[in-house]
Amino acid sequence: MAPSLPRIVRLCRKELRETLRDRRTIITLLLMPLLIYPLLSMTLNRFLLTSASGDADSETVFIVDSLRESDLEFLQLLLEDPRSSPPQSIIAAAGDAAPAKFASPTDRDGSALEHLRAGRLDVVVALAGDETPELTFFANAGSERSQQARRILIERVQWYNASVMQQQLQQVRGQMVLPAVRIEVETIVGEAETQLLATMIPLILVLMTITGAVYPAIDLTAGERERGTIEAVMASPVSRSSILVAKYCAVVTVAMLTAIVNLAAMFITLRLGGLLPLLLGPDALFPWFQILQILGLLVLFSGFFSAILLALTSFARSFKEAQAYLIPLMLLSLGPGILSLLPGISLAGPLAVTPLINIVLLTREVLTGEAAVGPAIAAILSTLVYSAAGISIAARLFGSDAVLRGSEFSVRSFFSRPEKPQAVPTVTAAMLTLAILFPLYFTISNLLQEYAPEAMSDRLRLNAGSLLLLFGGLPAVVAWLSRNAWQSTFRLYRPRIGSLIGAVLMGLGLWAFAFEAVLWAKTIGIGSLDAGTVAAASEAKSRLQELSPWLLLAVFALAPGVIEEWCFRGFLFSALLPRLHPWQAIGGAALMFGLFHMLTGSVLHIERLLPSTFIGFFLGWTVWRSGSIFPAMALHFTHDALLLLIMRYESKLQASGWDIDNASHLPVTLLVMAMLLVLAGIAMVHWSTKAAN
Amino acid sequence: MLLADKLCKTFPLEQGEVKAVRDLSLRVGPGEVYGLMGPNGAGKTTTLRMILGLLSPDSGYAEIAGFRTSQTPREVKARIGFVSAGDGVYSWLTVREMLLYFADLYAVPARQAAERLEQLAILMDISGLLDRRAGALSTGQRQRVTLVRGLIHDPPVILLDEPTRGLDVVGSQTIFRYIAHLRSLGKAVIVCTHRLDEAERLCDRFGLLHQGQLRYEGTLTELRQQSGRNSLVEVFVDLLDQSSAERFTRKAVT
Repeated sequence: MAPSLPRIVRLCRKELRETLRDRRTIITLLLMPLLIYPLLSMTLNRFLLTSASGDADSETVFIVDSLRESDLEFLQLLLEDPRSSPPQSIIAAAGDAAPAKFASPTDRDGSALEHLRAGRLDVVVALAGDETPELTFFANAGSERSQQARRILIERVQWYNASVMQQQLQQVRGQMVLPAVRIEVETIVGEAETQLLATMIPLILVLMTITGAVYPAIDLTAGERERGTIEAVMASPVSRSSILVAKYCAVVTVAMLTAIVNLAAMFITLRLGGLLPLLLGPDALFPWFQILQILGLLVLFSGFFSAILLALTSFARSFKEAQAYLIPLMLLSLGPGILSLLPGISLAGPLAVTPLINIVLLTREVLTGEAAVGPAIAAILSTLVYSAAGISIAARLFGSDAVLRGSEFSVRSFFSRPEKPQAVPTVTAAMLTLAILFPLYFTISNLLQEYAPEAMSDRLRLNAGSLLLLFGGLPAVVAWLSRNAWQSTFRLYRPRIGSLIGAVLMGLGLWAFAFEAVLWAKTIGIGSLDAGTVAAASEAKSRLQELSPWLLLAVFALAPGVIEEWCFRGFLFSALLPRLHPWQAIGGAALMFGLFHMLTGSVLHIERLLPSTFIGFFLGWTVWRSGSIFPAMALHFTHDALLLLIMRYESKLQASGWDIDNASHLPVTLLVMAMLLVLAGIAMVHWSTKAAN
Repeated sequence: MLLADKLCKTFPLEQGEVKAVRDLSLRVGPGEVYGLMGPNGAGKTTTLRMILGLLSPDSGYAEIAGFRTSQTPREVKARIGFVSAGDGVYSWLTVREMLLYFADLYAVPARQAAERLEQLAILMDISGLLDRRAGALSTGQRQRVTLVRGLIHDPPVILLDEPTRGLDVVGSQTIFRYIAHLRSLGKAVIVCTHRLDEAERLCDRFGLLHQGQLRYEGTLTELRQQSGRNSLVEVFVDLLDQSSAERFTRKAVT
């Protein structure tokens, strides 16, 4: 019963029929945009009218006073003289902005300078000199307005002087006198104004496609379970992938319809409301071509979001649960959407394959006409791959055992001890532990950076303590609460001596490949640090180089080697192994290990993801193969210790010709030796142990 | 036709785990109606779901017409009609649209599906409902529609999980009459029901399930011999009494 295209079309038609007949879809799809956009347009128009009329009324009036009354009269006469005004071309360039005016205060009691100090006056003027009048302008140093008023007054006097001097020269020479330099001004429309459409549309597309896809995605997956139809569907011989592809097509269609109706309503309302020039510039025609481009891009957005939403909602057992999963996704999606508003970021390097960010940037570049073919193809292909992955995950989850049966667990279950001991933690308990670890680790590592003691050795001890408390203590508490057997949960089994030696050999070789992975990540543009971070790291490194190597080994190699393995390869891996294929469990634990290594302080160290995940694979395999946590601890310690010693004795290594600072690749002979060590280690672990499961 | 061999299933709970089905074996032949009885939570639905392949057993296996559920799930599903009392409907589709959709899921050709739908609609008295929105049906109407849905592909094996739940006497009679009709067509039927009186008249053999284990199995006569009781109701009550007594003893000891 292979899935055929006509059948998938028929299945999709049923999903669409069901969704489009539902009033709630119609409200989201049609009614909301038809009501919201005219209302938004009217509100915006009202706001613009109010602000425009406000501008016209609010010409700038500066309050000027003088030390003597006659001084002010002199200034007023000067300002009323047309010769103190700038040339007409400069006045015209100011556009609608009215020229600044100067008025005298209504209350002239007390010292003018005191009033200026108190901010009640903008400028105080004093007149001196007998033959040539000399004007002194007093301004308040703490007031930008006061200084602006003084600048304008000085300019006015300068214009007056220039004009009078020109007249005097003409009288003396009896002919026209030309100025040394003539001033002309021109105004052009700025780049930011023409690109408003290009910067706004990606964010709008993100919002509209999510809005359109959310309801059908929930209804066609979690909704099936809630209304009791999922069992009947799963009892049929049709493949889950056919069902999910049909549902996917339906969700994409509704998402696109919603976005199209929204866009149409938006453009028509803007056009009728006279607001289109705001988006396109003053003289632009209706953007037919750009609308066509947007429709094309819409397919990508709808395809991507529909797949991701279906993957999430397929796991949910109810509408409520699905909504709980989707809210964080919607919030997360706003980040890349807002990215399109920021200048200076372009579709290149890893960003071209970063989910969602790539299509947001692609949209912006397509609309500004700056899209390059290579990155555009990379963005489109990678989005298709993500969508396919999303559908595949959805097909695996939809109607699975857990979804069909429903959850027996409540929040209470996390805090109450079960009656019988459990061999290993549940996946839920392990994931919840990581979810609690993440914010705690973030908070504590930031607090340590901010309030750490001055002495480097004390700081290191605190770091080690926090590691022990978080990654050691929290899994231990959860294991105690879940009544997990310590030995099986943390894999505290006696290892074979061969597996220990093999693990150490792997640790002696793997550091070289982790080092190369960091260089490779930097080559492709991941994790290039800014100068400030590099300088801070360099300073920290030189301070560390002064410390005892034993302290460094204890804090940076022994503590992580033991505690991180306890958490990731002990607690987490034990939870994953009974439920997943061993390679999936190894990969899952390695990825979590890699993700946590990205988090240090407030900066995301993306460059750490690859090497840490890479090492995590070997650590996971070693634990799985040996059945014991101790070989992995030995591997982890050896690996960290070697990297640490390289850092500690950097100057000596540089003296022998290895330029670490310039990030040069390792010599080939060293890489070959490292590879041989890793292979020998793998062979020893493999032959000396039996697979744990 | 239908074979289950030593099926076991355990579910994790907040406090420990529950053994929902333990070493359950049964066999149902063509033209036979098998009554799978037991109190709530005895493991009836879990058993049906394992036979169908909706839940994978921890151990043991199920076979339909020689096809093993774990190895050829689609062949098995194509040969089973499954009806559960908890089944819902697609509220925004008409009854006809919904039933033809399920026929399509079972790859029944369109014309054949339409003909079969007309026949079943007459038999189950839902002809007048075919063009009505499924969300507007009453409980009884919904139950009959659900039964038609499970039979639309004319399966040789039919699993009915409490098909008369929520129905009045007349509604139940219609369903039971139809089950008898299925037997006459040579179908292998497993029916789980709490209507013991009806089951006693209808079923050829019985399996009495309690706490995941098949305590008694056989024809009504065999059941009477095994239990020393006259009717299904008495055997059933005995089972419940035994379990209450066991619980009481356990409590007293602890």
